[in-house]
Amino acid sequence: MVSPNTPTTIEASDAEAAPQEPLVTEELLVEEISIDGMCGVY
Amino acid sequence: MSDLDCSRRYRLDPDVALRPEPFGALAYHYGSRRLTFLRSPLLAELVRHLEEHASIDDALAASVPEERHGAFRHALGALADSRFICAC
Repeated sequence: MVSPNTPTTIEASDAEAAPQEPLVTEELLVEEISIDGMCGVY
Repeated sequence: MSDLDCSRRYRLDPDVALRPEPFGALAYHYGSRRLTFLRSPLLAELVRHLEEHASIDDALAASVPEERHGAFRHALGALADSRFICAC
């Protein structure tokens, strides 16, 4: 019987076993928008 | 698909105005009426002075850390595709 106060390592183990998500490494350096149709822009 | 030729000299299109911003710059193309956010002060400076360098590669080598060359080439390719910069 495990005491409720007994610390577990389940979460840590799960974290170690989880596949590593690829890091987003590409920088978003440019972002283009069209302002055609915006109110007040001529 | 970008048609950027990194061995050639490029310049800011004459129809483009750059406005400095804390995040980099706003670029507005008066011909296409497109607005582009340049999200890096380093990229904004690079684009502003692009014509001073014999090629894109020379411009990158002069001012951009090597580990960022790929991202900057990608960004310059997007700017070339949308005619914000053009080959001289």
